[in-house]
Amino acid sequence: MRVLVVEDHPRLAATVATVLRREGMAVDVAFDGREALDRAALTTYDVVVLDRDLPGVHGDEVCRSLVATGSRTGVLMLTAAGTLEDRVEGLGIGADDYLSKPFHIAELVARIRALARRSAPGLPPMLAHGDLVLDSARRLVTRGGKPISLSPKEFAVLELLLSAQGAVLSTEQILERAWDDATDPFTNTVRMTVSRLRAKLGDPPVVETVPPVGYRIGDAA
Amino acid sequence: MTGRSSAVAIAARLRHPQTTVRWRLTLLYGALFLVSGAILLTVTYVLVEHAAVSRPPGGLFVKGTALERRTPVPAAVRPDRLNQAFSQLPPRITSVLRSPDGQVAIRIVGAKQRLADLHQLIVESSIALAIMAIISAALGWLVAGRVLRPLRTMTTAAQQISEVNLHERLALEGPRDELRQLADTIDRLLARLEAAFNAQRRFVANASHELRTPLTAARALLEMVLTDPRATIETFRTTCRQVLEESEEQEQLIDALLALAQGERGIDRRASVDLSVLVAGALHSYSANAAERGLALQTSLAPARLSGDGRLVERLVANLLENALRHNVPDGRIAVSVTSLHGEAELVVTNTGAPVPADQLERLLQPFQRLGADRLRQREGFGLGLSIVAAIASAHDATLHVQPGADGGLEVRVHFPRPAQPEPQPSKPGSGERRAGQERPQSPRLAAHAQGAVGADLEPGSDDDVDGPILTGGDPADRSLDIAGDVERAPQQR
Repeated sequence: MRVLVVEDHPRLAATVATVLRREGMAVDVAFDGREALDRAALTTYDVVVLDRDLPGVHGDEVCRSLVATGSRTGVLMLTAAGTLEDRVEGLGIGADDYLSKPFHIAELVARIRALARRSAPGLPPMLAHGDLVLDSARRLVTRGGKPISLSPKEFAVLELLLSAQGAVLSTEQILERAWDDATDPFTNTVRMTVSRLRAKLGDPPVVETVPPVGYRIGDAA
Repeated sequence: MTGRSSAVAIAARLRHPQTTVRWRLTLLYGALFLVSGAILLTVTYVLVEHAAVSRPPGGLFVKGTALERRTPVPAAVRPDRLNQAFSQLPPRITSVLRSPDGQVAIRIVGAKQRLADLHQLIVESSIALAIMAIISAALGWLVAGRVLRPLRTMTTAAQQISEVNLHERLALEGPRDELRQLADTIDRLLARLEAAFNAQRRFVANASHELRTPLTAARALLEMVLTDPRATIETFRTTCRQVLEESEEQEQLIDALLALAQGERGIDRRASVDLSVLVAGALHSYSANAAERGLALQTSLAPARLSGDGRLVERLVANLLENALRHNVPDGRIAVSVTSLHGEAELVVTNTGAPVPADQLERLLQPFQRLGADRLRQREGFGLGLSIVAAIASAHDATLHVQPGADGGLEVRVHFPRPAQPEPQPSKPGSGERRAGQERPQSPRLAAHAQGAVGADLEPGSDDDVDGPILTGGDPADRSLDIAGDVERAPQQR
């Protein structure tokens, strides 16, 4: 899942990004409205976490521009002004959700996940394939009832592949959705992660390689 | 039913007339009409009566010669005697006239008929006057209503305008008369109120954003480390340090907001303060910082007394110096001068820096306004510095001039009014004296410091850019305070 955090307070932005990365999301950070729009033009984000009081281009403007492009991107607005009028106004501009400062980081994560689910319609919070179950809210993966411990990146890749429901995902697509600009991954990175994932998931194999295109989840046995 | 109730309402109104301007105007019109009508009637009556007596009927002319009153009339035929004689007769002898040739004419008027005529005139005129008075009152009521209509419109509109819809205006149309002027004045007042309200609202929104964001960051940091399953002692330490830094930032912001509030509230205690001493003290703590940034510092301080709150003026000076340092360019320059002209202290702080558009100057004095996104990105300051300066300056009745510097940056000029003469120290005589005593030993220390810290030659009067010091006081001890020098650029950092 690719998330853009737009926040002018550098430390808050860094902290939110760290937490979200720990949750297996690929997070980019923009410090002002201009940068946010530039990034959003280059990458399709699942969710944009947008501070309303931004220098340069105001958060409201960024939100309007994002909505105007008609993309599926969910916009979660953050603001210090938490009155009813502000929330109504923020949602009226086109934000999908609204959170006022100070917030609990756990709530922020939950709301981002909910938004991401909405922006990819038809996906339940529990993704299942045979005896393999992925609970994206609780970040648990079980196979045959036994929990499997995955790293954030492995989890993200598995979530992507399960969400694709058998469709083939190219290495580039996986890179874009699961890795952010902060890391400088080689194409190799995806291959390494997938092979580690395969080893952890055990037999029978779930992830198929489709040369030379990419990967897919094999048909359920 | 309704007719009855309205009749009751009218009756109640008549019994307890509201003292509205409309009623008063109506009464005034009615009364004025009645009085002038009565006067007219009286005049008419007098004229008519007089005319009936003084105009002689044709029969009194004898042989074509008008009879004259002047001609003496024999006593026996005077009107009063005749009236006595004919008292039982209804007609009345009004005059007895004699022609020049001795003929006597006795004028007898049908008095009853004439009295009846006059009575009728009075009665009919009075009825007409009463009717006209009622009509004029009604017309007066209508006219007063029409004249007062803009006033009613204004009242209704003003009643509807509250804090929520301050953007609305009376916008009275019509000729440019007194009422229109009143409406326009109220509109201008509303515009000023709206601007003040908006500024207040913006201030609160900005303050809440600036206060909540570091709070959120601190909370997020703590939550991040608490929910991290792989957190180590080192991560906890780092996080705690970051949280501390955040809280320090909040503390500074709260300090700044308090200073702003204090400046806006005004000052409650005034003392005699030497501006040059305060500036010297502030320069003492900032010159090392300036050297670190590779900025050349030029100072020219002459003793300049002002009456005010020393701590607030100190804050003003510190904010100006901090601004000059922060928004400067590499190899830049800061010039600080304190002068006293005709007893009025003036502080000028000039700094090089990025060019500031002239139309942005007003915005700079508003709270939380910073120029350009790049400055925000570095999060240097809260954008309160110059608004605090403006608030403190206005609390001291000082004028503040901000203008773009010749080569970028800003030139800020604070001109204090002359302190009230003479200056008695009312309740605490000690504080002023102590202050005055302190400043003298401070000056050599300052000069030594400036020399030591930046390692430059202090040549009095060598600087072309800064005006030479103006010495006003005759006190030779004050002279030692005066330093004017060009401080050479400190070694570059990068």
